[in-house]
Amino acid sequence: MANKTEILRGTLDLMVLQALEAMGPLHGYGIAQRIQQISGESLKVNQGTVYLCLVRLLQKRWIKAEWGTSENNRKARFYSISKAGQKQLNEESENWQRVSETIGRLLRLNENR
Amino acid sequence: MFSSVHRTLARIRAVFQSSDLDRDLILELESHIQNLAEEHIRKGASLEEAQRLARIELGGIEQLREAHREVRGLPLLDTVLQDIRFAFRIFRKSPGFTAVAILTLALGIAANTTVLSWMSATLLNPIPGVAHTSDLVTVMRGDRTDHPTPPFSYPDLRDLSERTQTFSGLLGYHDDYMSLTGVAKPERIYGALTTANYFDVLGVHPILGRAFLPEEGTLRAGAAVIVIGYAVWQNHFAGDPQIVGKTIQINRHPYTVVGVAPRDFTGCAPGLRTELWIPVSMDRDVWGFNRPDYRGIFWLNMLGKLRPGVTKNQAQAELNLLMRGIAERFPEDHRDSPNEISLDPLWRSPFGINGYLYKILPMLLGLAGVLLLLACANVASLLLVRSVGRRREIAIRLGMGASRKQIIRQFLIESLLLGLLGGTAAIAITVWTSRSIVAFFPPSSLPLTHDEHIDQRVLFVTIAVSILAAIISGVLPALRSSSLPVQSVLKEEASSVSLTLHKSRLLKGLVVAQISLSLVLLVCAGLFTRSLQKAQQSDPGFEASHLLLASYELSPAGYTRATGAAFDRLVLDRLSALPGVESVTLADFSPLSFSIHSDYLQIEGYVPQPYESMEISRAIVGPNYFRTLRTSVISGREFTAADTAESQLVAVVNQAFVDRYWPGANALGKQVTDGGDRFTVVGVARNAKYRLLTSPTEPVIYLPNYQAYSPTHDTTIHLRTTGDPLTMASSVEETIHQLNPELPLFNVNPLSVTMQLGTLFGRVAATFAGSFGFLAMLLAAVGIYGIVAYSTRQRTREIGIRVALGAEKEGIYRLVLGQGFRLVLAGLVVGTALAMVFTRLLKAQLFGISEIDAITFATVGLLLAIVALLACHIPARRATRVDPMVALRYE
Repeated sequence: MANKTEILRGTLDLMVLQALEAMGPLHGYGIAQRIQQISGESLKVNQGTVYLCLVRLLQKRWIKAEWGTSENNRKARFYSISKAGQKQLNEESENWQRVSETIGRLLRLNENR
Repeated sequence: MFSSVHRTLARIRAVFQSSDLDRDLILELESHIQNLAEEHIRKGASLEEAQRLARIELGGIEQLREAHREVRGLPLLDTVLQDIRFAFRIFRKSPGFTAVAILTLALGIAANTTVLSWMSATLLNPIPGVAHTSDLVTVMRGDRTDHPTPPFSYPDLRDLSERTQTFSGLLGYHDDYMSLTGVAKPERIYGALTTANYFDVLGVHPILGRAFLPEEGTLRAGAAVIVIGYAVWQNHFAGDPQIVGKTIQINRHPYTVVGVAPRDFTGCAPGLRTELWIPVSMDRDVWGFNRPDYRGIFWLNMLGKLRPGVTKNQAQAELNLLMRGIAERFPEDHRDSPNEISLDPLWRSPFGINGYLYKILPMLLGLAGVLLLLACANVASLLLVRSVGRRREIAIRLGMGASRKQIIRQFLIESLLLGLLGGTAAIAITVWTSRSIVAFFPPSSLPLTHDEHIDQRVLFVTIAVSILAAIISGVLPALRSSSLPVQSVLKEEASSVSLTLHKSRLLKGLVVAQISLSLVLLVCAGLFTRSLQKAQQSDPGFEASHLLLASYELSPAGYTRATGAAFDRLVLDRLSALPGVESVTLADFSPLSFSIHSDYLQIEGYVPQPYESMEISRAIVGPNYFRTLRTSVISGREFTAADTAESQLVAVVNQAFVDRYWPGANALGKQVTDGGDRFTVVGVARNAKYRLLTSPTEPVIYLPNYQAYSPTHDTTIHLRTTGDPLTMASSVEETIHQLNPELPLFNVNPLSVTMQLGTLFGRVAATFAGSFGFLAMLLAAVGIYGIVAYSTRQRTREIGIRVALGAEKEGIYRLVLGQGFRLVLAGLVVGTALAMVFTRLLKAQLFGISEIDAITFATVGLLLAIVALLACHIPARRATRVDPMVALRYE
């Protein structure tokens, strides 16, 4: 079994990409809020880790960043998804779907026995 | 997979933009906290409470910054860069130390790169213009001497070439001077008669035109075609793009230019510059012989290209088998010389300059290596001493939680930087010194050439050597400094960690190492110098002073045997009439310039062993040769103007000849056959050395020029003058030009100058071993001075106490000096032992002295002891002036 943080990191990357895909450009705070909204309490992480995730995604060129002004007139850095990021998101979502279907089937099989 | 490439690149960039990225992150985090706090306030929290909650939700900012830095950059590169910046700060703080360390390493490295640059240009790049020489070998037949003659006849070469399975090609060539005639000013150019496959085997493609066609090599065709060198094309034909197809004259015969060789290519005899190439079948036109027709005339050098996968040994075995077959089929032609074949890679080709250099250069490299080791020991002791001054800094870092590994890394990075800076300086030095070998070439009759550039190979090795030197000199100080007893350093002061000469075994060891290594180098320098002196003082068997040489060549000027002999006679008459001329003669060679010829002789009453080489040095000389050279004739007479083609054929032999072939018998009246002519010995001369001063005397036969006359060789005037020989140069030239205004006179030099060629390699060795030895002594002196001065300063307090308690100045002086002296003594003992092992490797290169020559060892040991004591004397004197009051307050 792969270690827990690996999975978590992969998940967080996916969640950030998903958030940017769905909401358009967001700043770090916005992304953190969005993730918390979606995952509810099930994925309670330090909000700061979002920034580590953002660096990683920037380095991979899956997202872009630009300085701008936030809704309350503060200087903020806005992140948006790139073409490569969209592609990655699609691939990853398919992947997840496949995995979860397989696991689901497996679990159902076990139930039926 | 681009994303991972992007990520790596981004991380590397991040290392260099660290502070910007950090500021961005903090801005973002701050605004995040504010947003969170506002949210909490909206929910009714107080301002303080809201901010506290916001911080908890975000997580620790410092931790986050650290993690962020790790994710975005390369942590190792980051810290290494930090270490480098720190190292430069340290360097700037102690510029004196830094300069000395860099200079020391630079000298040590430069000694190595200089020798390497020569090796690279000669041994490793033996044929400029031919990139891959690893599968090329020279083929030698017969005895291996330090002056080999071409070993193959054309029919033998052709047979081997046709039958071999292990070579993809065997080429043959004979090189010598040719004259470019039919131009305003005829010029002598070194050229070669070659087999038709010459350029193909070497893989050289003419830049204009073509190489030789197979049919141009076959005997009867007599193809008058020529490939010219790039320099000849540029200098004599102004780079004419239409040169191919034009006709030029060599030795007054016309040749059609078929190709121009590439710029770099200067033939395949290492170190000799060949610039004209003509098929072997033209021997008669070029040099007046028909050598390709004879199986018994050995005049070609052979070079072969091994087939892929064939080893040198396999090829050698095959050629030996083939050669034995040939010798059995033609026993008459092969009885006079051994037929054993040996193959050599080009780096030690017996033909050309590498045959000498391959013995000397690795030896010089060994000496340079010792010098580098010494430089490393020197820098190591400097670093060690300095690290003591930094012990507080190190202790604090260790105390703050730096790991031992980090301290070692910091130290190694510092020495690595010193090494690389030293290496850079060394390259700058080498740019200059790589040319220095050329300064040793005297004006000579050989077309010596040296490719003087620093190639990638040298650069690469320099970097490697710099890193190696840095590690050698840095590792001990680094290990030592990183294992400080932190507590005691921070609490007390010097006493617990001071590094004084009487306490630190490492420091002692470094002093002993420096002394002993420099002794090794000095001994080698001394041996080479004494050996060269012995060679130069040795009696060559002739008197070189007051002799002027000048050469001309008659055959390209159109002279025949008869008109040539008449011309020579006129030359002798006119020159001997000049005022200031004591006597004058002619010869087809000059001493100690690698120009004496040899011939196969049959000697009356001597039965050669089977396959014993009867190839013997043969000098063709004019009347009064022995009188002019001041070589005494022991019995019988020397040649006179009366020994002509019409009189009895006569010869003079040297004492070594008599000892070798007629021991105990009277040589006068015996007969020697050379090329079908029988010469009667009329005189025995003292031995004289004509090849190298350092080689043993060998048998020589002298034949009179009017009897063994050949206009095809150079004729060299030997003129004994009463005053400075050079003042006669112009009147000699005038005299010759009165006789024939067209005839070029070349190599006009005193014999004392041209014979420098005979000691070329001895001078190279002595000069470089000498400078290495001098540098070694200097480095050792500076190193010892540094250590003793430092450790004395460390003991200032102790000395102060001693003085306060009533110690005499003299006692203090002896204390400090004695300490240094014991180490110097130990170094001398170790060094002597090392030197005795090391000099055994030099044995073959020494002349006239033993490799454990007592005088050299004693002189050098004494010299080094004096210099080392002088280096100890200065700090010892200073110690006597210690004022106890100042010294006790000092700490």
